[in-house]
Amino acid sequence: MSDNILELRKATKLYGGAPAIEDVDFELRRGEIHALVGENGAGKSTLTKVMAGVVELTSGEMFVDGREVEPKTPLEARHLGIAMVFQENSLVPTMTVAQNLFLGQEAYYNRLRGIYIAAQQFLQSLNFDVTPTATVGLLGAAKKQMVEIARAVLHQAKVIIFDEPTASLTPEEKKYFFDLVRDLKMRGVSIVFISHALEEALLLADRITVLRDGKHVVTDDARNFDRARIVQAMVGRDLSNTLYGKRKTLVRPAGERVLTVQNLKMAPMVKNNSLSVFAGQVTGVFGLVGAGRTETFKIVSGVLKRDFFHGGEILLRGRPVRYRVPAPGVHDGVAYVTEDRKVEGFFETMSIARNIYLGLLAKFPRGRFFLSRAEADSTGVDWVRKLNVRSIGGKAKVVELSGGNQQKVVIAKSLVQDPSLIIFDEPTRGVDVGAIVEIHELINQLADEGKAVVVISSYLPEIMALSDRILVSRQGKVVEEFSAREATEEKIMYAAIH
Amino acid sequence: MKRGRISQQGIVFVIFAALFAAFAFLLPGFASTQNMLTLLQNVAVLGILGLGMAIVVIGRGVDLSLIATLAVPPGLVLQMVQDGHSFSGSLAAALLLTVAFGLINGWLIAYAEVPALFTTLATGLFLAGVGQALLFNLDVVQWSDGMAGFERLGQGTAFGVPMPIIVFALACVGVAILLRQTRIGAYIYAIGDNPYGARATGVPTRPIVVLQYVLAALIGCLAGLVMASSVNSMPTRIFNSTWIYDVILVVVLGGIGLSGGRGGVVNVVIGTLLIGTMLNGMTIMDMSYSAQNLVKGVVLLAAVIADSFLNPRNEETAQQGDI
Repeated sequence: MSDNILELRKATKLYGGAPAIEDVDFELRRGEIHALVGENGAGKSTLTKVMAGVVELTSGEMFVDGREVEPKTPLEARHLGIAMVFQENSLVPTMTVAQNLFLGQEAYYNRLRGIYIAAQQFLQSLNFDVTPTATVGLLGAAKKQMVEIARAVLHQAKVIIFDEPTASLTPEEKKYFFDLVRDLKMRGVSIVFISHALEEALLLADRITVLRDGKHVVTDDARNFDRARIVQAMVGRDLSNTLYGKRKTLVRPAGERVLTVQNLKMAPMVKNNSLSVFAGQVTGVFGLVGAGRTETFKIVSGVLKRDFFHGGEILLRGRPVRYRVPAPGVHDGVAYVTEDRKVEGFFETMSIARNIYLGLLAKFPRGRFFLSRAEADSTGVDWVRKLNVRSIGGKAKVVELSGGNQQKVVIAKSLVQDPSLIIFDEPTRGVDVGAIVEIHELINQLADEGKAVVVISSYLPEIMALSDRILVSRQGKVVEEFSAREATEEKIMYAAIH
Repeated sequence: MKRGRISQQGIVFVIFAALFAAFAFLLPGFASTQNMLTLLQNVAVLGILGLGMAIVVIGRGVDLSLIATLAVPPGLVLQMVQDGHSFSGSLAAALLLTVAFGLINGWLIAYAEVPALFTTLATGLFLAGVGQALLFNLDVVQWSDGMAGFERLGQGTAFGVPMPIIVFALACVGVAILLRQTRIGAYIYAIGDNPYGARATGVPTRPIVVLQYVLAALIGCLAGLVMASSVNSMPTRIFNSTWIYDVILVVVLGGIGLSGGRGGVVNVVIGTLLIGTMLNGMTIMDMSYSAQNLVKGVVLLAAVIADSFLNPRNEETAQQGDI
């Protein structure tokens, strides 16, 4: 019998050629609480999904109790005694607690009463204060989590994996959750949890593993860590990696104040957010997932639908604006280049030229009731040359291009509208290396031309390489601002983590 | 995506050609000029309706209320003329009703965000109900003297070609120009291809969606006028028939993907020709009505399955409620 209940050796998972995790070794000891920390995209989620059978390894080995296994589905993983509690929880909201607990293992004929009694006894044995007859959809986040945990224990899980378990909990609920986890540990269950909150990891975990860029950095006992050492391990990149160019030495001065956001509110992601954006420079916006960066700028550009609980003020060159749809924003010179180009970006059945021409049509409809093929073609050729979009033949459809070239088309579709405020949301996500450099050059060039440029990114080196000013967002608002001269990766990361 | 793959319209066209050749060879009288004109005349109304349906389907919607707009506004014209109103006044009232109906459909779908399927199902029932309960005296509204001359729209000929065929051809040209040559057409394709992308690009998506349903309603009304004038009456009970499925059959069979953004007028024409040939052949063979339904059902099913293979849905952009 080995000491490790679960072990991964040289675990690698490729997504379309790019590694999400690469040669990661991971050991989970019997009865320990193990925290996984790292930046967005460091590979924490992928690693845990591999363990839970949600994702299959491209190469590498996985052992449970010293026996090599290859769980291909969550069900197979569950039979091996591994259960995962997801961030988005996986309960059926219209069913009762008891029905959810026994979901998938009901007898052929079920009496509801029987299920309720069994659930009641089981929940009591765990000391969980949840009513078995309550409808799950009406429960709070903490209670839902309890049901998920109870289900995992009911399935006799030996390993329970939590993805961001405390993200949606209040401080009291968090405390209660910690007690639950310690209680599970007493019962001999091994725990893996992902957390952005370093204090929690330090407080709760026996051991901590830090991942960075899909690679394993360090695993050590929690008592040998402190906050500074974790942050250092999270961001301490190989600085010889020059993909993102040199660190900025020259900072562009701020021009006219183009955008002012004051006390912007929209439940639940944006909370009293205030910020400014100036012409002639790049404003970088950094934050972890859930910091409300994307939402704030989607509200500014009108892309996000307003709900009933919004408030605050948006001023575009001193004029208050509040766009319900993006069209009037586009006419006022605001362009939002989406982080999700498949859903909000290009038109897949159309050619590159037609995609770009649609941008032109949407901004300058005057005198263009009948389409001009010549204008469409010349616009397309023009921008394909300007942004160096590489394709097989000019008539290629956008879906047939590589990620980097698709992104260039989406950017061209916005730039053809001659915007004065350009918001890039994760401009290089899923983009190949060569195109990253080109897109960064383009962003710098736009700022040099005097446009107000915003770059939202979860990737610190990108923020550091591009920004003249850096805004750090946390829990729905901008909490700190740095000039590029004074910013360091450690300072920014420190501000971004709560 | 590889190029040069077999397109659905290609397959359908080959099936149409094969069927046509087989009927011409096997069925006496099928290939006669007279029968060809009858065939085209019979499907002209279906083809016009198909054009209206095509506009909304390309924009990622569907309009189940087309038959109601075919029956009620033209029925209103006939009824009002019968009651002694002037023909032009009656026509204006009917057009006003059609536009208002299209606006309601469009507003519900674009602004209130009710799925098109439910909206048009309900509004179609409503309009048919209003017609039958409030507007018409009898189920079949009869032609009256005030309409004299207008029957040429359905029964006349120009250059030896029956008028319904000419109206269908003109409607094809009009819709083709709208879809392929104008900004509005470009917007409709953009919305059908990627509604969120179109919105983020600054396309006025909601007004365009409203416009789609107004156009569909107007085309439905045109089809109804052609139909009424060719049979000298408006049998308003037609709303209770399964005709709307024939219209969807034409559009889907022709290769206009239900996921939107694909196809055009050519597809409607090909779909109409195939359906026309099938129905005509089956009638000459004296097949029973229920057997014809059986064949139509099988063909529609095959077309929908082929559609989902040839135009696979993008999982990320597909959403609940769109069809």
